[in-house]
Amino acid sequence: MLVLSRQRDETIMIGDEIEVTIVDVRGDKVRLGITAPTKVAVHRKEIYEAIKRENEQAASLAKGTRGATAPMPAELQALRTNGLPKRPGIRGPVLAGLSRLGTSLAPSERASERASETPENRGTEISGARTAFSHESGPKSG
Amino acid sequence: MEVRTSRFGTVNINEDRVITFSKGLLGFPRHTRFCLLEPGDDACFFWLQSMDDPNLAFVVTDPSLFVADYSVTIRAEQMQELGLAAIEDAQAFVIVNKVDRTLTGNLQGPLVINTKTRQGEQLVLAEKRWTTRHTLVQLGAGIQAPAAMSA
Repeated sequence: MLVLSRQRDETIMIGDEIEVTIVDVRGDKVRLGITAPTKVAVHRKEIYEAIKRENEQAASLAKGTRGATAPMPAELQALRTNGLPKRPGIRGPVLAGLSRLGTSLAPSERASERASETPENRGTEISGARTAFSHESGPKSG
Repeated sequence: MEVRTSRFGTVNINEDRVITFSKGLLGFPRHTRFCLLEPGDDACFFWLQSMDDPNLAFVVTDPSLFVADYSVTIRAEQMQELGLAAIEDAQAFVIVNKVDRTLTGNLQGPLVINTKTRQGEQLVLAEKRWTTRHTLVQLGAGIQAPAAMSA
């Protein structure tokens, strides 16, 4: 891993298009400002990891360490017998034969997503010890 | 075409039921071809069954059945990746997990499928409002109003 030392308001470039700026350093927290083309997804790693773990548990018949398993066909069948919420009507497109589905999708431009954020949370805040730009404190858990 | 499944034996599906996740799902990058199995016409839940691994299947549902105000934001670039010409061609599902006697949906990582080309992708939503374990319904609890079930 490349480790660089940076001070507040200093920036690194990743390729020609991605900029990461140290917005603030306070205690064991570093606030990063990230400028990237909209085609580049920027997320906290924990979110990816959480989704991955949920996927793995949803595919597993054995109870995982986080206490989840795949539902069994019989359990879903029993739910159907007991009754489940009914869709009021068909909304939106459907896969062939699946006529009762309708979660809406909303188009989004990153600019408009950001416009709704307050200046406070515009930077991505991550624990300083996990970044390559950390100050001197040791790793922190959680 | 025939699909071997560990839960339902060998099932016959039309080729128009095959969904391709070219990037796989998070944690399952190599499984790219799935089909959507519908256990009955009145089903709220479906099985997203791997075409290549009989043991790999996910229970999925349409989140709007349970969470009335849920919607998925999709960026123009993601629409391009999925070959989506219009947002109306997209369909969202979420993967269902069971935690004790509660079914939960991964609302933070919805599956979006282009219903025309049947290309799919698992998105990662930035909104903190939706979690990976949103309560959908209690097993064996009978009917509940969706409004009472939001976590």
